[in-house]
Amino acid sequence: MTTTLPTGTPTGTATAASARGLTRTYGDGDSTVHALRGVDLDLPAGRFTAIMGPSGSGKSTLMHCLAGLDAATSGTIAVAGRDLAGLDDTALTLFRREHIGFVFQAFNLLPMLTAGQNILLPLELAGRAVDRERYDQVVGVLGLADRLGHLPSQLSGGQQQRVAIARALVTQPDIVFADEPTGNLDSEASAEVLGHLRRSVRELGMTVVMVTHGLDAAAYADDVVVIHDGAVTAHLTDPDQDALVAALRGGIA
Amino acid sequence: MRTVLLASMRHHTRRYVAASVAVAIGVAFIVVVGMLTGATRSGLTADVGAPVAGVDRVVTTYDSREVARLVEVAADRDIPVLTLGYATEPVSRDGVQLAATADVSEVSLDARLQWQQLEDGRFPAATGEALADVNRAKSSGVRLGDVVRVGSGDAAVDVEVVGLVDSPAARNSALYVPWEDLRRFQDTSFWVDAVAWGGSEDLARATAPEAGVESAADWTAARQAEISRGVDVIAILALLFVVIALFVGVLVITNTFSILFAQRMRDFALLRCVGVTRRQLRRAIRLEALALGLAAAAVGIVVGVAAGAGLVALVRRWFTDMGPAALDPVWALSAFVVGTLVTLGASWLPTRTATRVAPLAALRPDTGVDVRSAAGRWRLGLAALCLVGGGVLLALAVSGSSVPAMLAGGMVSFVGVLLVGPVLVPRLIRLADYLPGGGPVRRLATGNAVRNPRRTATTAASLLVGVTLTTAILTGLASSRTAIDRDMDDSYPLDATLTSAGAPLEASLVDRVGGTEGVTDARVLDGTVARVGGLEVPLLGSPGADVVVRGPADLSAPDGTVLLPYAVVEELPTRLGDRVWEDRELTVVVAGREHTLRVETGSGWGRAGLVSPATLATLDGDPRPMAVWARAGDGADAEDLTGDLAALAGAAGAELDGGYGNRTWVYLQLDIMTGAVIGLMAVAIVIALVGIANTLGLSVLERARENALLRAMGLTRRQLRRAMAAEGLLLSAVAAVLGTGIGLVFAWIGVQVMVGSVVEGAGFTVPLAQVAAVAAVAALAGLAACVVPARRAALVTPAAGLAVD
Repeated sequence: MTTTLPTGTPTGTATAASARGLTRTYGDGDSTVHALRGVDLDLPAGRFTAIMGPSGSGKSTLMHCLAGLDAATSGTIAVAGRDLAGLDDTALTLFRREHIGFVFQAFNLLPMLTAGQNILLPLELAGRAVDRERYDQVVGVLGLADRLGHLPSQLSGGQQQRVAIARALVTQPDIVFADEPTGNLDSEASAEVLGHLRRSVRELGMTVVMVTHGLDAAAYADDVVVIHDGAVTAHLTDPDQDALVAALRGGIA
Repeated sequence: MRTVLLASMRHHTRRYVAASVAVAIGVAFIVVVGMLTGATRSGLTADVGAPVAGVDRVVTTYDSREVARLVEVAADRDIPVLTLGYATEPVSRDGVQLAATADVSEVSLDARLQWQQLEDGRFPAATGEALADVNRAKSSGVRLGDVVRVGSGDAAVDVEVVGLVDSPAARNSALYVPWEDLRRFQDTSFWVDAVAWGGSEDLARATAPEAGVESAADWTAARQAEISRGVDVIAILALLFVVIALFVGVLVITNTFSILFAQRMRDFALLRCVGVTRRQLRRAIRLEALALGLAAAAVGIVVGVAAGAGLVALVRRWFTDMGPAALDPVWALSAFVVGTLVTLGASWLPTRTATRVAPLAALRPDTGVDVRSAAGRWRLGLAALCLVGGGVLLALAVSGSSVPAMLAGGMVSFVGVLLVGPVLVPRLIRLADYLPGGGPVRRLATGNAVRNPRRTATTAASLLVGVTLTTAILTGLASSRTAIDRDMDDSYPLDATLTSAGAPLEASLVDRVGGTEGVTDARVLDGTVARVGGLEVPLLGSPGADVVVRGPADLSAPDGTVLLPYAVVEELPTRLGDRVWEDRELTVVVAGREHTLRVETGSGWGRAGLVSPATLATLDGDPRPMAVWARAGDGADAEDLTGDLAALAGAAGAELDGGYGNRTWVYLQLDIMTGAVIGLMAVAIVIALVGIANTLGLSVLERARENALLRAMGLTRRQLRRAMAAEGLLLSAVAAVLGTGIGLVFAWIGVQVMVGSVVEGAGFTVPLAQVAAVAAVAALAGLAACVVPARRAALVTPAAGLAVD
């Protein structure tokens, strides 16, 4: 998975997405909310990164901006080597279609499409041919082979989320963003989904960025970015539980 | 509970807009109908009593001899008397016909009975002077001082126009002449229904024992009631369309409430959780519906009054008999109540469903709004029953030519179609999948469109009603038009005939007639003059079927037979007339020699007999041009044509006759009826479109997260807008196709039942262009209805959409 990365950089050390001086404010005057205050961040390719922080710290906003779902107030964002600034809505949409995958917390699947149709939807929207091999591979990794004909309402929460992950992976995106993918799941289903996310990084070579506030979820990640009050306070590589707790506490203190 | 009620109404105001628009349009429709019929009624009944204002009594009699006696007796005793009636006679000036038939009434020479409103000039002071209606005078160019000839032949009389009057709608003759001039037509075209009588009741009874005598006030009241009844019939017909529009409105409102309540199901459940009883909840929701109904009905009244006043003002510019715009308070109140009740009624079923929500529903995880609904078994059973029952009724109607059975069968089977909609409409929409050129956008659109079968079906049904009825009525009118066409060709085979009164016509007349604007063909007919019992009747050598003869009518006469107009037979002395009716024989005298001919009667070729060319040769060795027949081109102006030909006829000493004027008048009536039906049905279609926009708009709110998800995954704004447009188009196209199909079936049945029983072998004519236009307009309007919702959906950024809870 190296299609649009800068050439000559070995996989694993290349940057999948980066932000420089990223700020995002909502409203104006007295009611201004500073969701992000000058974030500088590089997310390495081929790794599973968790963005952590307490509620209201700006982690979802950071993800939305990185993914081109929301426009930054100032600063630059580059994803897969492409500067997102100056892209209009249609160009951004087409960029997302080609390079980015999404997994959301809830309401992730279209209720009137079967699991298989949901997985293939992004390809269909892009008018791209289905790579049968890739599809079977993704479906196999996520263990969905016997569920493809079911409607979302006939699947468990964990299964629905796995379908969503498969949908995000099938297009071979440069980066997959997951917004609290386990927020609505019990611990068993969470473990199952997170395990599958990690497998997709290890076995399929994907880059996954996950927003979460659960320590258990973060434990599955390779790297952890900690964000407090709109600013990055720590960027840990392969942290152990203690370092993670310390980084989170440190932000609070 | 009141806080909750007010807050939720504030919060959901925008979602109620479409439902209120539907109610408001319905109410405004009622108000406009009321104002138009009110204005028409007040205009038509105005001054009905004017002619009898100067007397105490009115004598009603249809016997012209009694009328003559009453007038004589009155003249002897100097009692004021005025006949209320009219003669229909041709009017000409300087030999040029101004009108083939004009109503001529009496103007009194007694100032007490001169009720007309003088606009210019003065009232007649003596026999030989006349009043003319100011509007008719304007259109025919008659001015004060002009001498016009009323009537034809021996009875004709010349009168000088000395005054112009403005007549009310109830009594609007073109000319008013004194009794001595009018009585000339007593035995021909004069028709009287009443006499204004200034004398005593006893004298009236003694003079005219057969007549009825009543007070002038009673007579006026009776006339007004009679006119009102006529207007009421129109009002009831218009209200039929109001009922249809309101029915569509009910569908739209029911759908709106169903959707809104589905979206608010969690709110309701939460309220139930915190201790709101089912009754309280139901009351709150019904109060909400009541408030909506009251507000929308009030808006409807205001809009209706404005539209009604505007329309009446507009109509008065062309139709001067229209009264001023006014709204009956009772009518307005009824419209208001109907609008409110319709809203309340439409919310009844959805409210029941909504309040059945279990408190537990609030505690379940939010998996998005569950909008699935399906057709229940009882619903399908009922639908089958309606379809079968309606079908049987319709079959009975066709076999028995029964209109009530047809109406009942039509309604029952249509209800069946509406009931089966949740099954039928999604299947039809699914058919779009088989069309070539599909893509993800269209798949998305069909998927969305069939997601909630009941909602989709109700939305389609609202449009279906309008399309079905419009198609059925248009097709029915077109079919009756073909029947009327044939009837017209039989009754009026010739557009215009110029028939000599006795002297041969100039040879150049045919060229001048042929050169008249609007005439496509003209031919001259040779003939001779026959004397029959004191009458001079031209006999023409008939060309039989000819370019100037319309339709399949064959005007040729067998040898030895004369085709004689009914009117001429009526003119014959009784002895000869009886011989014609009984023995079918007539003896005519041509050039001093008697010939006995067989007689067939008919009409439509002017005042002349038709014989075969061979018979004509035996009657007269040297026939001369006696008539010119002309065929008018399509769309020729009837009044201009008649005016031009009348001038030629007058100068040539010929009489103008022919059916073109009547023909165009009948078609004008049909066109007006078609236009009125389309205009009235348009209201129902507009309401249905409001409903489509509403359903799509509410669906957009409901699918905010879903759309955001799609946008995040790479659906462009354009694709999203196209998906919404495709969804709207699918809905309306299915309604249009289904409606056209059902409408054509209904029309076929209607033609069999209603036209088939009157005319032999009624043809079924589909006005392809019109029907296609209705279907296209309906389908495209569905596209237009989704412009606003689609824009709104596309404007939401993915991040904002995902944040919606």
